[in-house]
Amino acid sequence: MEMLQKDMEKMAETAHPEIPVEFSALAGERIVIETTELDFYYSAESHALKKVNIRIPYRKVTAFIGPSGCGKSTLLRCFNRMNDLIPGSFLEGKVLIEGEDIYKNGIRLEELRKKVGMVFQKSNPFPMSVWENVAFGPRVNGITNKSELEEMVESSLKQADLWKEVKDRLQASALDLSGGQQQRLCIARTLANKPDIILMDEPASALDPISTGKIEETINELKEEYTIVIVTHNMQQAGRISDYTAFMMLGEMVEFDTTKKIFTNPREKMTEDYITGRFG
Amino acid sequence: MLQTETKPKHYQKVIRADRWARRLITFGGYGIIASIVAILLFLAYQSLPLAKNAAIKTLFTFPASQGPSKALLTGIDPFQEIFYILDEAGHVQFYQTAGTKPLSEAQLPLSGNEKILAAAKGSLSSELFAAGTDSGRIITAEVRFQLDYSESGRAVIPSLSVKEIWKIPAAGKAASSNAASSDTLPDHVEKLAFSQNEDGSRFYAWVDHQGALWVRSYDAEEEVDYLHPLSQYLGESSVTALTISNHGENLVAAAANGIMRWFDLKDLEKAALRDEWSISNGPASALSYLLGDQAVAIGTAAGAVEVWFPVRTPSNLMKFRQIHSFRSHSAAVAQIYHSSRNRDFLTIDAEGAAQLHYSTTGKTEVQFPRPEFSIAAGAFAPKSDGILLVDAQKRFTLFRLDNPHPESTVKALFGKVWYEGYPGPEFVWQSTGGSDEFESKLSLIPLIFGTLKGTLYALLFSVPIALLAAIYVSQFAPFRLSRIVKPTVEIMAALPSVVIGFLAGLYFSPLFEQYLMSTFVFLILLPLIFLAGVAAWRAVPESYRMKIRPGFEVLFIIPVILIALQASASLGHPVENFLFRGNFQQWLYTTWGITYETRNSFVVGFALGFAVIPIIFTVSEDALSNVPKSLTSASLALGASRWQTVRRVVIPAASGGIFAAIMLGLGRAVGETMIVLMATGNTPIIDFNPFNGFRAMSACIAVEIPEAPVGGTLYRVLFLTALLLFVFTFVLNTLSSLVGERLRKKYARF
Repeated sequence: MEMLQKDMEKMAETAHPEIPVEFSALAGERIVIETTELDFYYSAESHALKKVNIRIPYRKVTAFIGPSGCGKSTLLRCFNRMNDLIPGSFLEGKVLIEGEDIYKNGIRLEELRKKVGMVFQKSNPFPMSVWENVAFGPRVNGITNKSELEEMVESSLKQADLWKEVKDRLQASALDLSGGQQQRLCIARTLANKPDIILMDEPASALDPISTGKIEETINELKEEYTIVIVTHNMQQAGRISDYTAFMMLGEMVEFDTTKKIFTNPREKMTEDYITGRFG
Repeated sequence: MLQTETKPKHYQKVIRADRWARRLITFGGYGIIASIVAILLFLAYQSLPLAKNAAIKTLFTFPASQGPSKALLTGIDPFQEIFYILDEAGHVQFYQTAGTKPLSEAQLPLSGNEKILAAAKGSLSSELFAAGTDSGRIITAEVRFQLDYSESGRAVIPSLSVKEIWKIPAAGKAASSNAASSDTLPDHVEKLAFSQNEDGSRFYAWVDHQGALWVRSYDAEEEVDYLHPLSQYLGESSVTALTISNHGENLVAAAANGIMRWFDLKDLEKAALRDEWSISNGPASALSYLLGDQAVAIGTAAGAVEVWFPVRTPSNLMKFRQIHSFRSHSAAVAQIYHSSRNRDFLTIDAEGAAQLHYSTTGKTEVQFPRPEFSIAAGAFAPKSDGILLVDAQKRFTLFRLDNPHPESTVKALFGKVWYEGYPGPEFVWQSTGGSDEFESKLSLIPLIFGTLKGTLYALLFSVPIALLAAIYVSQFAPFRLSRIVKPTVEIMAALPSVVIGFLAGLYFSPLFEQYLMSTFVFLILLPLIFLAGVAAWRAVPESYRMKIRPGFEVLFIIPVILIALQASASLGHPVENFLFRGNFQQWLYTTWGITYETRNSFVVGFALGFAVIPIIFTVSEDALSNVPKSLTSASLALGASRWQTVRRVVIPAASGGIFAAIMLGLGRAVGETMIVLMATGNTPIIDFNPFNGFRAMSACIAVEIPEAPVGGTLYRVLFLTALLLFVFTFVLNTLSSLVGERLRKKYARF
């Protein structure tokens, strides 16, 4: 314990904002999301993100790892402004998506969130039919043409590897699906909006290994077309599916690099300790 | 067992406390269920006697035959201890119902062989009767039952006193001259009807041996007699039956050709024919005015029994109409007697069969066991709790009549009933009236309607406001605002309804009347100004709009409402002048025939809505707030706006709770008493007009239970109303639970 405490203090020093986080690994990648000196407060007393700088590459899977409460989900939610819903919270610094500051005045949240889709930790299908769940996004965004919707629903379900399983019961309640199916339905629902970026907040943490495997397969297929940011608790998962990994600790970005580098030869001692399971 | 021994003492203590707590909670739970069932059972027990049919029980039969003379008239004292019979020889014999021999005897002053041909009772409150003889005399006498407490206990001492003896005018004197010349028989009274009113004025109607119909009105105040020959109205046909109403104001005479005639005797100095009609089931063989002096029970030679009473025609004339027909007799109806307490009447046919009917409900209540000899006379006990029948052999049978609530049949309580004096069958609630002869009109429909009307207007007002407020507070309002609004609305629920009722009835309703037009203008203007405000808001550049913190947009509504208020206050009068010729209420009345009452359904809807809003708000706000955040997040993350999220996700998911909230509000509005009592005129009318009042079931119970005699029909009907209310709210609550549960299952499996 004592050791850990010391390590953490040391880490806090090394990851001080004055020392820029190395993004050399991203050479040649197109950057989609970029934060500069991002601070996030749940309230004045609760400082959740501290001067976070991060870059998310185009059509790659980027994983956020780190112990509970390190701020990785908070960071993720800054990308589609879901944190706005928390009363009393506020943010300093900048989040740029495709070069545009999404926190500036005049940003339409509906458009932002259509572009930046999100899959939550716990599957949260609406208490409606499978079809209505998938069609929800296009519908609220103004698409009423039935055949267009049908097409979107089918292609989204296919992309999420769910079509074969549910095509005969599109009108059944989404709540009757299994947990893994529900989560893939949530992915399909997000895909139906044709987003550029998909944020995934521990999408497989509540699922059994087989369902998790299916989700991971889906993610692997999706990265051909989408920029994916995934928060995960599961080291192996991050290792399996992500191209880049960011390690976070106590609200700070400790290390960012290719997944391979992070898992084989991390720059920071903290990262190594975490990866090897010495704490976390 | 071994385990318990090894358990530490502390653990045993915990188990014991647990057991006691469980017992207490179980007892509490079952106690609540038991008390609800007990209330239900008590209400049912109190109202159940309403459904009881009339029952008779033979109390006493007296078989002795006392002389050969035919019995004409009988009567009994209020305690049913002594009764008398008058026979054709003028004997008045008194009997004890418990004895076997005549108690005493009295004699009407008849001369020689003079015989009584017709006798009739003439008072509701005493045993006053008139007897017409074959020598043309009419003797008025009264049997009194005096109470004597001197000896061992109470004794009833009967006596007979003769009031008046007079002779009918000689035949032909007033009739046509040729009839007079051919007359050789002595004058005698063939048929007789008699009545004495509360002033002491007496009315006699008789038919003499020539078939001429006469009326004598004796004015007790002036001590003047008026004699009215009525034969000129009769035509050729002879009179078969006569009846005078209990207060002597009306005479109905039946002729052998089936023509009935109604004469007005109100003006003592003349008798006027008011209506003439014919009946179809053979000529009337017996007639009797019933209590209330409106309805006439008619028994025909063919055995039909009907009730007729005058109904106002469109040309403002009173015309007799047949209202009910009852179970027929197999022989001609010979006698009809009516109760002096209610609309019961007894018909006796020539073969001796007797039936008891209730006029208002059109129901034949009792068929009496057929005696061996035909019945010569019958009488209701003064309290209508017994019936005495005397057969031709002077054998008497006394029946106890158990018929406490003849007027409360299912049809009378829930159907249209044609009451005396009404133009047609109607739903009427009028439980008490000015006189003893008043008939309670106890239709529950106006009360049920009133409750529903009040509830409807209350919900029309409160449901939109409460639901919108709940949606706003739970989904849109900033935390700082909702933290204030929620407890405030909950305090609103704690406001005593008597205070709301008081304010509504005494302060708000006159204010509403004064600013009636402005209120309507406001209702139209507010949405318009609101829309204009929205348009103006949209015109503001987005960058400015985005600066408003979400949830605080509501502040912009305040000026909109203020503008609408000011505008409608100043526009009220001009609009009234322009559209309604300066007086909206007058216009309502002349154009639509709608009357405006100060305490009307609008005011009640507002006041009752005020009481209902907190319930609907609180429950639906809870339901909306309890929609999992994960759902709203999912919707928002898909690019739905806040309103889209609320409409497509939150409201469907909370629909079970919202439904339950509305049902609870409905239950509250249905059961609410003080507000509807104080803020309406409590007029039990069936009219959707929002400018009228109504009478709700709850208010009716509150108003009338203090004046309802315990055990009486009104008392029990009020209990029935309470039972209905109970069932109403019970069903509503159960329904809300069931439907709420189903909706929850459908939308909220998380």
